[in-house]
Amino acid sequence: MRDIANDLLDAAQVAGAQYVDCRVVERTTQSVTIKNGRVNNVSQFEDAGVGVRVIVDGAWGFAGTQRADGPGLEAAARLAVRIAKASARTAIAPVRLAPAPAVTAQYVTPVRIDPFSVSLDRKIELLLAADAAMDVAGVTTRQGSLGAVRHHQLFASSEGSRIEQTIVETGGGLDATATGDGEVQSRSFPNSFGRQQLTAGWEVIEEMDLAGNGRRIADEAVALLSADLCPQGRMTLILDATQAALQVHESCGHPTELDRVLGFEAAYAGTSFLMPDMLGKFRYGSEAVTISADATSPRGLGTFAYDDEGVAAQRTLLIDQGLFTGYLTSRETAARFDEPSGGTVRAESWNRLPLIRMTNINLEPGVSSVEEMIATTERGVYLETNRSWSIDDRRLNFQFGTQIGWEIRDGRRVKLVRNPLYSGSTPEFWNSCDAVAGPSEWHMYGVINCGKGQPGQVMHVGHGAAPCRFRNVAVRPA
Amino acid sequence: VTEALRSHDELLAMAEDILRRAPGGAEAEVTVTETATALTRFANGGIHQSVADRSLRLRLRLVCDGRSGVAEIQTTADEAAQRLVDTAESIRSRSPEGDPVHPIHPDGGPDSEIGYSPVTEAVTPEQRADAVAAVCIAADAAGQQAFGTYETTATSMAMMSTLGLSRAARHSVGELIAVCRGDDGSAYGARHAVDASSIDVAGLASEVTERCARNQGATAVDPGTYEVVLSPYAVAEMLEYLGLVGLGGLAVLEHRSFMRFGERLMSEAVTITDDVTRSELAPLPFDGEGATTKPVTIIDRGICAAVVHDSVTAARSGVPTTGHSFPQPNSEGPLPRYLCLASGESDPASMIAACARGLLVTRFWYVRPVHPLQTIITGMTRDGTFLIENGRVARPVRDLRFTQSIVDALCDIRALGSQRLASRGYFGACLAPWVHLGHFTFSS
Repeated sequence: MRDIANDLLDAAQVAGAQYVDCRVVERTTQSVTIKNGRVNNVSQFEDAGVGVRVIVDGAWGFAGTQRADGPGLEAAARLAVRIAKASARTAIAPVRLAPAPAVTAQYVTPVRIDPFSVSLDRKIELLLAADAAMDVAGVTTRQGSLGAVRHHQLFASSEGSRIEQTIVETGGGLDATATGDGEVQSRSFPNSFGRQQLTAGWEVIEEMDLAGNGRRIADEAVALLSADLCPQGRMTLILDATQAALQVHESCGHPTELDRVLGFEAAYAGTSFLMPDMLGKFRYGSEAVTISADATSPRGLGTFAYDDEGVAAQRTLLIDQGLFTGYLTSRETAARFDEPSGGTVRAESWNRLPLIRMTNINLEPGVSSVEEMIATTERGVYLETNRSWSIDDRRLNFQFGTQIGWEIRDGRRVKLVRNPLYSGSTPEFWNSCDAVAGPSEWHMYGVINCGKGQPGQVMHVGHGAAPCRFRNVAVRPA
Repeated sequence: VTEALRSHDELLAMAEDILRRAPGGAEAEVTVTETATALTRFANGGIHQSVADRSLRLRLRLVCDGRSGVAEIQTTADEAAQRLVDTAESIRSRSPEGDPVHPIHPDGGPDSEIGYSPVTEAVTPEQRADAVAAVCIAADAAGQQAFGTYETTATSMAMMSTLGLSRAARHSVGELIAVCRGDDGSAYGARHAVDASSIDVAGLASEVTERCARNQGATAVDPGTYEVVLSPYAVAEMLEYLGLVGLGGLAVLEHRSFMRFGERLMSEAVTITDDVTRSELAPLPFDGEGATTKPVTIIDRGICAAVVHDSVTAARSGVPTTGHSFPQPNSEGPLPRYLCLASGESDPASMIAACARGLLVTRFWYVRPVHPLQTIITGMTRDGTFLIENGRVARPVRDLRFTQSIVDALCDIRALGSQRLASRGYFGACLAPWVHLGHFTFSS
């Protein structure tokens, strides 16, 4: 890897690059899925290549290649330089990078059991046991999946950095779907979107107890078919930690991406309502709300030692007791404010340009508990597990649906309700938050489908979250 | 600017080499895909990102003794073919016995390349920069700033199997997307073409700057149910979601689809097809199993006619595959790739003139299913939403959230445009006209 990187850096500088960095990447992904008691697919994907990024005449150029031989690397370097020169003709202002020290380092995700060392037999046996647990009358589709990722990368720059990292991810999950009488109801465990995934080893799967939760979600899916519709009106809303995590992702993670604020994503992902003159002044949420970007959080999908610009992992407060205090930044965007980079730049793969991405955007734990929140709620709903999500391009107007809900009356869950939706405006919503559960109910969750950038990049990001309560929220059935 | 994509013969030779290494007695299916992508992004009136990459992907599916294994490698390394075979066989041999999906026999379909242009593959970084500059200059002249992308993609794909399958095809797409922003509002437009040189850059710049000039100083309008005049960009988004939630064979088999065959669920004006013969959609002639993709009439004058199939759902449904498979095995099932809504005889000006009070919508954004079986989706309007009063566009309005059943909306068609626009879809492309709907619900 080092020889490839050195050759590429040399070739780019010979071609005229004033700055160059590259990532030499080897990535292996394994997937096991079962459906309705049968193995659906067992597959392995190996991906290898090199991405080279240059600055020439103040403009960026990027090229990706799978050819690791001398002529291949030289061609990629020349192409990146040519692209940068073409871009420079229509660039607005020269790119300036915030300083970052040259680093030589190695990092490997702490793993107790390598997920690739666990036999397929064991994986299939575990999924089939969970599938059998979901096999109850009324459930029409049962699915289970296990996934493992090993991402081995060398980052090298013309400033002297050489950083080798191996990130290991392990995940798994179940879905039970029941159909009948004009309804389709699904329940997932531990999270929606197919599976819960973390930077850790097979121990994550052993802790999940998939089989032990299969029966519960299957029963819930069937019960939802005949449940009453979610009540309608403005009421108290309590979210489970998984839905709180997605709420943080959409309404805090994305709007604090500084490239969105600067218009880089205006034609696609959108912009942000959080403008720089609001920093340190804007009351984003109540005092119960503190949200950090923490690339050092154990097990998060945004956990690493250095980002894809060679900047060290950091913890930054985005929202401090309700006050808007920080952005997710890159070397380029931070330089515009004469600040150091926050170290949040990542690329999906070798052939994609590194962009500002969420690391682990964590809702810090409070002091309450779900039981206490419910016990002190006169009228409201408790909602679990995302089913639908949508938010406008400035990240203000949102509507979420969850798989399941319970109506709360006089401090008790009184009945199951189906098809719940809630909607609101981001600052109004977070300012209505009056309780966040404590550390014992705070968990790290993985989002494996975060899309951004063109060409599109799907990133794996983390969210530590705990159940939380909001007052006077618009709730209704779908 | 870079080497051309490998020829069909080269890709088929690579596939044949992999097949030759496959263990004896196994059914083997090989897919070799090479893709070249180049994309220039612009923001605030200038280029800020520009990239190019090329990737070669090899996929092998082995089936033998009731066991199946799949391996994929994205590399040009010399040892890739053998490693692919070894990995697939290792997985296959360690998988439990079951009832795996088998590769299909060749169906004799043609490998026509109606969706490919070598011009698109050859577009240079300088040509992309020139097109972007033209949009930026037009925006600047209108007192606006331009944002967007100019992307070219060319893909070459070959499939071969031990059952005699051997086919290859290419397709290409050029796409220019422009968003212009003024002091207090923005507008969107896009063009999609097999031959990137046919994209009318000046025409797109004119469309978007004119729309942006009209979309300044938007004021709020109350949520509620309105007549709507939807641009093809918005209609395409709606069609794509209809396809996702209900137009695949697996959705029907799993009782997740709204389709009730033989029943009229929409206006007689609605005919929806999946049409692989439309060259402007840059179609590939076969699917992820190597089956020939066939044109399918899905909604015939409002009546539910058919859904798309792969070999698995086709067998379970007792019909032939329509050639809409993702690579097998998969849990998603087949989905439409080239959805087309039939045109009518109207045009946007006539639709607006016929609307007493309604909303003119340029684009939907962040659309997600809320209740798939009832085809209820939610999303936002974006980059150009206008109030129509007494047959004319009265003023721009702030973006609204809609929550609406697609089938219900398509029951109340007032008019369809005579011209259709091609745009990118989730798995292929989409062809849609302007549409005037009698009601559409905006929830906040």
